[in-house]
Amino acid sequence: MNWIRVRELVRKEFIQLFRDKKNRPLLIVAPLVQLILFGYVVTTDVRDITVGLLDLSRTPESRMLIDAIGGNKTFRITEVTERPVDMDQLLLMRKVNLGVKIPPDFSVKIRKGQTAEVQILADGSMSNMAAVRISYMFTVLEQFNNQVIRELHPVKMSYGKADDRIRTWYNPNLDSRNFYVPGIVAFLIMLLVMLLTSMAIIREKESGTMEQLMVTPLKPLELILGKTIPFILIAQAQMIIVTIFAVFWFDIPLVGSISLLLVATCLFLLSTLGIGLFISTISTTQQQAMMTTFFFILPFFMLSGFVFPVANMPKIVQWLTYLNPLKYFLIIIRGVFLKGTGLGSLWPQFAGLLILGLIVFWGSVNLFRKRLD
Amino acid sequence: MNLIKIQAISRKEYYHLIRDFRSLYLAFIIPLLLIFLFGYALSLDVDNIQVVVVDHDQTDLSRDLIQKIGASSYFHVIGQVADDRIASRYLDDGMASVAIILASGWTANIRADRESQVQILIDGSDPNFAGITRSYLTAFMLRYNQNQLLDFLNRKGMEPIHPPVEGRIRVWFNEDLESRNFIVPGIIAIIIMIVGAMLTSLVVAREYENGTMETIRSLPVPAAEFLIGKAIPYFIIGLIDVLVSILMGQLLFGVVMKSSFWLMILASSLYLGVALSLGLLISSVTKSQLVANQIAVLITYLPSLLLSNFVFPVENMPGILQLVTLIVPATYFIDILNGLYLRNLGLSALWPSYVILTIMCGALSVLNLIVLKREGL
Repeated sequence: MNWIRVRELVRKEFIQLFRDKKNRPLLIVAPLVQLILFGYVVTTDVRDITVGLLDLSRTPESRMLIDAIGGNKTFRITEVTERPVDMDQLLLMRKVNLGVKIPPDFSVKIRKGQTAEVQILADGSMSNMAAVRISYMFTVLEQFNNQVIRELHPVKMSYGKADDRIRTWYNPNLDSRNFYVPGIVAFLIMLLVMLLTSMAIIREKESGTMEQLMVTPLKPLELILGKTIPFILIAQAQMIIVTIFAVFWFDIPLVGSISLLLVATCLFLLSTLGIGLFISTISTTQQQAMMTTFFFILPFFMLSGFVFPVANMPKIVQWLTYLNPLKYFLIIIRGVFLKGTGLGSLWPQFAGLLILGLIVFWGSVNLFRKRLD
Repeated sequence: MNLIKIQAISRKEYYHLIRDFRSLYLAFIIPLLLIFLFGYALSLDVDNIQVVVVDHDQTDLSRDLIQKIGASSYFHVIGQVADDRIASRYLDDGMASVAIILASGWTANIRADRESQVQILIDGSDPNFAGITRSYLTAFMLRYNQNQLLDFLNRKGMEPIHPPVEGRIRVWFNEDLESRNFIVPGIIAIIIMIVGAMLTSLVVAREYENGTMETIRSLPVPAAEFLIGKAIPYFIIGLIDVLVSILMGQLLFGVVMKSSFWLMILASSLYLGVALSLGLLISSVTKSQLVANQIAVLITYLPSLLLSNFVFPVENMPGILQLVTLIVPATYFIDILNGLYLRNLGLSALWPSYVILTIMCGALSVLNLIVLKREGL
């Protein structure tokens, strides 16, 4: 092992990376765009629910219900129709999220002390959103019921009521940004490191300079180190830059320790660099390498809990996620950012990253050396 | 327009594809993988919420409340712990996402007709999950309290009263509220973008990098023929992917298209046209495979996933980004998919999106021609 040779190779890689003006967007613009996209776009909050109204009763009682719905800040009554057909059209053309149909016998039934049925039509096409909208509507109806019962029975109403004090921890305002922005860095590092590592080697192969490297006194291990160290540095820089952005631009709380994040990044890099090396070993052209990278990144991304919760997946797939380094890294990042958890809680994830990383890296290096000889 | 020239270029591209077997293979495997993942494994619906309970009261009533929560199809009580601190450990470690804490004396308060606090802690880190959880819990507690109220009134010797209003829910377009029903069709938009734009983004850049662009310049092939010839093999791959996706969605996951099949093919072809011309344009402008691929990911794949009303509703985005979604082709394709798959709409309702996709396809092709002409083709 000769560190001077490694250093020279690292220098060559950096020069090559930054000399090509076209690489600059890759290193700077792409991460920035993704940060902004995820920071501003990715939100599953349900804030503004549009409601279409069809009041066939037209009585003080029905107006009371309408006021109850319209007075709630999550709902916005955008359309009032006269005929049931119009209501169907509103939903069909995505003009409203919910339709509320008040039947003609609405107030007659209430006055008689019976239960009046209000029909709620929901556009279910985005099911997760629809579920929240429906339960918000139910909440309004229940509140309305309590109010009416109180007016109908004006006795002293102090009954044994369970007073639910709901508190949301870690992300009290349920801000989507707090969830997604810290995670982006994981995705960015994975994408960039896998792609650049494999490209750096493939390009030597494609342009025939691999042969030249082989005749230099560089040993395989030195070659691997020289090819990977630049990306370790770039990934750490990215981690720091994105963290600064997240904290100062997006106001994401960083409760835990940043050094823990940097350690986790190193462990995560073991597996991503390993996979990058592996891809470069099994590919001969850039196109192949890119498609293969994508083939790895897609399932890693989807099965990491980045957007789709792991707990929702079928059991077998949940077991598969244990092979996904991105999953561990995301749990660590989110834990450190939002929950402020330390090694005490996160050690299984660190252990997972370390074991996975060592196996992948060791395997890839061996394969790479074998191919080189 | 000379068909023989187009055929020649297509054949050259076809050989490239065949020789680079893995790229071709991935062009079919990635779509299958995506459909499979989204249909089988990924869901945004929340129906298995892990609850940990701290019951300091240990009475019939408190046990009844816990049992009622566990009986709901959304919640799963994973266990009871003795201490509030242990419960918060459960949340920290992600072993439970809800903790319900009943203080001692809870039942006594209820029995004395007083308000009695139930402490509920939710892990809010995933806002989609937490928002749905919170609204389920609120609805649950309201129902619980309404029973308490009715019980109270009946106990006081008043005539039994009924709740005045009851909501009858009818869910349209996606009756079982399964996220699969909108995600599986939507994934076709992503697949087309990956296959169409990402594969073709390499096509012209490769000619530049290998130096064969000079050869093509010297050939008697005009720009239009060159473009069409390059696009045809990928168009066929894309269309096969669409057919496979439709079939898999239907056979494996029961996601059935309600409207006409031919409208779907028309829409897919238009959108595929947009994707291919976008990919080729990126390729001839950047002239580098690596950069072209990265730009293709940035301006085709990510916007199709994020800025298209696919999973993340446009109505929630800031105003400027809502405007940006108007130039993302996937927005219109997703709109068509939603109409065809879930709403059973026809051309009379969906024509605006078809027209816009056609215009986009045309405009991008013209841009392509201009760029290639400037390069001397």
